Amino acid sequence: MRLALIRRDTAARGAMIAAPAVALVLTILCSLVLFAVLGKPAGTALYALLLEPFLSWYSFSEVLLKMAPLCLIAQGLAIGFRANVFNIGAEGQLVIGAIAASALPVWYPDGTSALMLPAMLLLGGLGGMAWGAIAAGFRTRFNANEILVTLMLALIAAQVLNYLLLGPWKDPAGFNFPQSVLFPDAALLPILLPGTRVNVSLLLALAASGLAWVVMRHRFSGYQLLVGGMAPRAAAYAGFSERRAIWISLLVGGLAAGLAGAAEVAGPLGQLQRSVSTGYGYSAIIVAYLGGLNPLGIVLSSFLVSALFIGGDNAMVSAGLPVAAVWVFQSLLLVFYLGGLAFLRYRLVVMHRPAQSVP
Amino acid sequence: MQKPLDRRSFLKSSLAAGTALALPLPAFAAEDTLNVALIVPSPAADVGWSHTLLAGAKALEEFGPGVKITLLENIAEGPDADRIMNKTVADGNTFIILGSFGYMNGGLKLAKAHPEIAVLHASGYQVAPNFSPFGARYYQGTYLMGMAAAALSKTKKLGCVGAFAIPELITSINAWTLGAQAVDPSIDVSVVWVNSWFDPASEQEAAKALLAQGVDVIFSNAQDTPSVITVAEEAGAYVFNLNSSMKAYAPKKYLGVVGTDWSPYFKANARAHLDGTFAGAAAWLSMADKVVYVADLNPDIPADVAARMAEVQAATLAGTLSPFTGPISGQDGTEKVAAGVTLGDDMILSMDWHVQGVTTPLPK
Repeated sequence: MRLALIRRDTAARGAMIAAPAVALVLTILCSLVLFAVLGKPAGTALYALLLEPFLSWYSFSEVLLKMAPLCLIAQGLAIGFRANVFNIGAEGQLVIGAIAASALPVWYPDGTSALMLPAMLLLGGLGGMAWGAIAAGFRTRFNANEILVTLMLALIAAQVLNYLLLGPWKDPAGFNFPQSVLFPDAALLPILLPGTRVNVSLLLALAASGLAWVVMRHRFSGYQLLVGGMAPRAAAYAGFSERRAIWISLLVGGLAAGLAGAAEVAGPLGQLQRSVSTGYGYSAIIVAYLGGLNPLGIVLSSFLVSALFIGGDNAMVSAGLPVAAVWVFQSLLLVFYLGGLAFLRYRLVVMHRPAQSVP
Repeated sequence: MQKPLDRRSFLKSSLAAGTALALPLPAFAAEDTLNVALIVPSPAADVGWSHTLLAGAKALEEFGPGVKITLLENIAEGPDADRIMNKTVADGNTFIILGSFGYMNGGLKLAKAHPEIAVLHASGYQVAPNFSPFGARYYQGTYLMGMAAAALSKTKKLGCVGAFAIPELITSINAWTLGAQAVDPSIDVSVVWVNSWFDPASEQEAAKALLAQGVDVIFSNAQDTPSVITVAEEAGAYVFNLNSSMKAYAPKKYLGVVGTDWSPYFKANARAHLDGTFAGAAAWLSMADKVVYVADLNPDIPADVAARMAEVQAATLAGTLSPFTGPISGQDGTEKVAAGVTLGDDMILSMDWHVQGVTTPLPK
């Protein structure tokens, strides 16, 4: 007897609802054991992790704040992932975008021009695109694997950031601490919801989502891109280009990540500093796949992953959970959900050993 | 960057403050109720910076069972830290200890939005009525370690693995060099900056590079793990570090620790906060404050040098000796401090130059 996964012809409708629910229940059960072993209050911890982000206005606004970069980057990445172009280094494109956007307020710390902010976003987007273009060039010219190149470029981006913050862009009045000057008001994104830190970058993310949806659903170019990446030879027969898919994927991915980086320094950070991203570029990969690489799914998944992050931080404060326990909880939920998705598409079949003919 | 006020928590806390004021004060000191939140940038492991801050905060439990300490570890500086600070206050914590320079701007806004809380902030420079920056005069201890290092070095080359070239770390290296020169004027000091608070692999590489240059005493300047300590022990080089003892990782070659015990400072401020007398002020804590100490000294230190170290320590405690008393020359040989002049705190706190004897140029 052995077990096998057989692809389902159609996904069971009930299972689509059951998968997240089962994942949640399994996560809670495992966490109860974890919290009991740690001696932490399970009720308080679960409330903070799962409910509080939606029940307190402040926490909810922070979910929206964190959702914006996750959604924006994931939309950009999903375009590439659908075409089988794996840009794993959005983190680096984000950092370069943040650096490029910061150039203006660093050089003009007393700037008041209304053009400063749009110019920063433009520079941020271009910076991210340029970083993505390096990987696209290597892939199309030398057939260098874009997974490795984008990942390595993320490390280089971090060093560029270090160099600037320790050297030419260091705040002259900052006692040698590695950070830039605080940006002037003209370099800060307007607040969207008064009384919170949610800024217009949320609108940017939602607009990008709408655009991604229109392009993928209703434009022939979206289809070409999909085929160009997934079946390059078939695409070549049809006259679609694999090179084009690679370039578009990495440029759009870089643009989105660069914009997100610009929005971080012009948003909640208000200056360029070493922790310009807390791993948004990497989390966005999870967000993209949780959302099924679907523009609408990504809006939902970025919201939920953001809530999960906020809930995790809250649980550390309210329930005294160590950071490692929060990571375990978050990972359990993702693993159970992704496992559940596998059962949506496949069914587990017990294969009986066929009767052996003994000579 | 304008951080908006969290309206709910503000209402909640101002309500709480209002209620507290309206209640008649008990005639006798009831059990102290104090909710403390400690936010640190790295995991609060068995050793290191975050560990000593946690140990200092835990000393507040001596006030009674009404003291509750919430540890928030591994919190990246930036928007996440700002939110977490807000949450700690919304949850009723009123005594907040921020364990990293990068929490300064967020912490200051928090303090201004919540006048009823008290915030202690490590290694910053901003002050507000309920916001106090604090730091340790590590240089008092590193000067003593310099004397010990010079006495034990055979190659007359000392080396330092430094985190960031900020004044606090530069000061420690300069005092270490001056202490070494007090025993042996021919001492050289090289520095490798790793530009990270936490990067064990780079720190070990840096230590190995120093050893390869013939360095035989190493100063692990602001590393949170025993990365440098274990490399030195294996290579047979003496090594010391800051904050908490790592002797367990270098049983033979451990030179000692320039330790910090934050509990006297935290206790005094928590008491003031409970009594309603907290006043924001910069505190640069010393050996005399019982915050900075030197311990676990290696028995290999020759008796005559050990005796001189004891004299220097006594003079430091008495306030009659500062390592930064002239004549002191800069790296290029120009006079930085005239004979008989002692640098003031403001000059030491903003130190951006190395003394003569440090051979590595300072990154600009």
